[in-house]
Amino acid sequence: MSNAILESGAAMADRAPRHGVEELSMQQALNLALDEVLAENPKTLVFGEDCGRLGGVFRITDGLQAKYGTGRVFDTPLAESGILGMSAGLAMAGFHPIPEVQFDGFAYPAINQIVCQIARMNYRSRGTMPMPVTLRVPSFGGIRAPEHHGESLEALFAHVPGLKVVSPSNPHEAYHLLKYAATRPDPVIFMEPKSRYWQKGEVTFDSADPAGSAAGGPPTGAKVMREGRHVTLIAWGAMVARCLQVAGLAAEDGIDVEVLDLRWLKPIDAAALAASVRKTRRAVVVHEAPLTSGLGAEVAQLITQSCFDTLKAPVERITGFDVPYPSGDLEDEYIPNIDRILFGIQRVLEYRRG
Amino acid sequence: MDTMPSPATGSGAGQLPGPLSRQLSGAPAEPLTDDQLRELYSLMVAVRHLDTSAIAWQRQGLIPGYAPELGQEAAQVGSGYAVDTTRDFVFPTYREMGVARAMGVDMVAYMSTHKATWHGGLYNPLESRLAPIQAVVGGSVLHAVGWAHGQTLSGIAGTNTDGTAGVAMTYFGDGASSQGDVHEAMNFAAVMRAPVVFFVQNNGWAISVPTERQVAGGSVAARAAGYGMPALQIDGNDVVAVVEATRRAFAHARAGNGPVLIEAMTYRRGPHSTSDDPGRYRSLNDERDDAGEDPVERFRKRLLADGVADESFFAEALAAAKTEEEHIRAGIQALGPRPGMEMFDLVFQETTPALQAQAASWREESEHV
Amino acid sequence: MAEISFPLPDLGEGLIEATVLEWLVSPGDQVERNQPLVEVETTKSAVELPSPQAGKVVRIHGGPGDKINVGEPLIVFEVPDNTAGIVGTVPKEEAPKRRVRLSAVLDED
Repeated sequence: MSNAILESGAAMADRAPRHGVEELSMQQALNLALDEVLAENPKTLVFGEDCGRLGGVFRITDGLQAKYGTGRVFDTPLAESGILGMSAGLAMAGFHPIPEVQFDGFAYPAINQIVCQIARMNYRSRGTMPMPVTLRVPSFGGIRAPEHHGESLEALFAHVPGLKVVSPSNPHEAYHLLKYAATRPDPVIFMEPKSRYWQKGEVTFDSADPAGSAAGGPPTGAKVMREGRHVTLIAWGAMVARCLQVAGLAAEDGIDVEVLDLRWLKPIDAAALAASVRKTRRAVVVHEAPLTSGLGAEVAQLITQSCFDTLKAPVERITGFDVPYPSGDLEDEYIPNIDRILFGIQRVLEYRRG
Repeated sequence: MDTMPSPATGSGAGQLPGPLSRQLSGAPAEPLTDDQLRELYSLMVAVRHLDTSAIAWQRQGLIPGYAPELGQEAAQVGSGYAVDTTRDFVFPTYREMGVARAMGVDMVAYMSTHKATWHGGLYNPLESRLAPIQAVVGGSVLHAVGWAHGQTLSGIAGTNTDGTAGVAMTYFGDGASSQGDVHEAMNFAAVMRAPVVFFVQNNGWAISVPTERQVAGGSVAARAAGYGMPALQIDGNDVVAVVEATRRAFAHARAGNGPVLIEAMTYRRGPHSTSDDPGRYRSLNDERDDAGEDPVERFRKRLLADGVADESFFAEALAAAKTEEEHIRAGIQALGPRPGMEMFDLVFQETTPALQAQAASWREESEHV
Repeated sequence: MAEISFPLPDLGEGLIEATVLEWLVSPGDQVERNQPLVEVETTKSAVELPSPQAGKVVRIHGGPGDKINVGEPLIVFEVPDNTAGIVGTVPKEEAPKRRVRLSAVLDED
């Protein structure tokens, strides 16, 4: 491509690959992943509301415009449908757009372009116009933010044919999942747990990671975050950290909890669910989204399908309620808390057939 | 805009004089040659004949439905004719058969959408430079902006010297102009100076709702001023005016001056679709009073008066149109259903285990056409 | 860490300046939201300004008797890196609290 704007980006690709382990926040890990994706693929573009000079309201795109120029990292007018519709057109022109909608709730005005256009264009065009669009959505609740800033849209997106959905739970996952998602030829909704942006964690950059990210293989499927024998907690996004806390508390009571980070909400790793629950014979799925028709129902069905004979109790769902996401003061009442998850575990532990 | 003649009374001059048209940069394009005028007529006759035939096909049970464009032949053929398919890209709705034909798209592949073979049509969008057929009203307008901004990012647009700048042209109607996406698209395009031609066919009706109950502010073209974008409101039933206006708009956008809006005033002489009944919302008298002169007949008279074509040419054009329609009809008739596996195979570039499992059970448990 | 500057607000209708009477905090102090920061005098009145946010005071501008123009920096706070100006609050990492205890007879059948 004879292209002044884009070649300046390609020239940045001389960075040495990272090795070893670094302590990063999820915000830093995502920023680093975007930096590397922009350096590695001159067709990638990062844009959205305030993504340029400001670096995004969560600073995920911080410094990227200064590094890659206003052609590749830019602010758009304040119109989510416009951002996603433009993404579709850019993808049709051969680019790999990585747009951001500033908050989960702001994806609603863009639903038409996401569902009716981006999700279907590969199909409609009989595979001639793929949609390699990686849509970053700061997601879920927990930060005392205004209305429409705490929504959990995974079931909505997962229900749409043609979309894939993923959510990282920690800085390591954030880095590897975003790098992976941003190299896929299909549209991926990348749901970032905004309550986890600032917590630090170790990011492993090379094949030293035994659990399957990075050079150990592509970060597809679910990942066991803690092994256990008695019950499997299934979660994603910010709920993974909470479930790990619960597992620690349960251990004090002699209950050995396995925590499975689903990571990919579409496609869901049915084999990993089966492998874990065949072992523990009990399952509790935890999500922030409302209960009814939430992704927990899908998870429960997949487990029932594969583990019906060995399950010792019906799969429990510990979720948000079927209410509009509440104001900050009631947030902790809505989001599954430690006690509610423990109650769920207790119910599957004491369940007896007949 | 108040000097605009109504579509029914539009003269051959077509393009409006006025403050908006003066904002457009660049000299008017070269006048059309006699050969080009005759080609335009042949295209319009081919489109007219295929369009009326498609309604017959629907009544004969050959296709389940169709969205006629009767009366819009000049707007569609004229604008499609101005497209340079080596570099430009067109984003249609579901009523752009005349545009597709003028661009040289395979018409069996195009009409397959109306046979319910495949929603987007069977033509290759990348090769034909025509995006898949779009059923969402106003759905592809933003795509044109994204594609066009891609041209800018690729360092191609705005460098008119090498002559490679690609322009996106997007089609929509007076009804679609009410959609928020159309506003967002115009604003994005103007902010980014994207090389886009917004081609509005104002055919007077959005199914049953007339333009005056659809469009506030007098016209769609008037809205361009709010985006700082030049607009041309033209007589969309004058094919020569349409070609000239579209060429000027392309030249303006290609030179890096940003988007242009063309509002081609025309009239939907037929129903919205083969399942529509216009008698419920307008009378035959309304149609006679409002439709103006038939654009094909009008162009025929002009060619005859100017000595560009004669009756034998017109007869040849009609005969060619009939032959063409026979071929397309045969092609459509021969078109079987797509293999069911395509349902599964074309969802993703990289399929998923769940989808593979569904495909496997479909293959085992269903009878297949 | 990042710094956030708090400019002197317009304390009346169209006032352009105020005079510092007394600072109630010093650089290095950790202040809470609404904690009184400084007493200033305008042409209309003497008022105490409550802190707009929690944070550590990095700098204060102007000593007693100095005039500060509306919109100019009055005080600078230090806040955690990157989180300056984001929507919402950053959840604290706290030790998990529990009310529920588990009890089970785990027959390993």
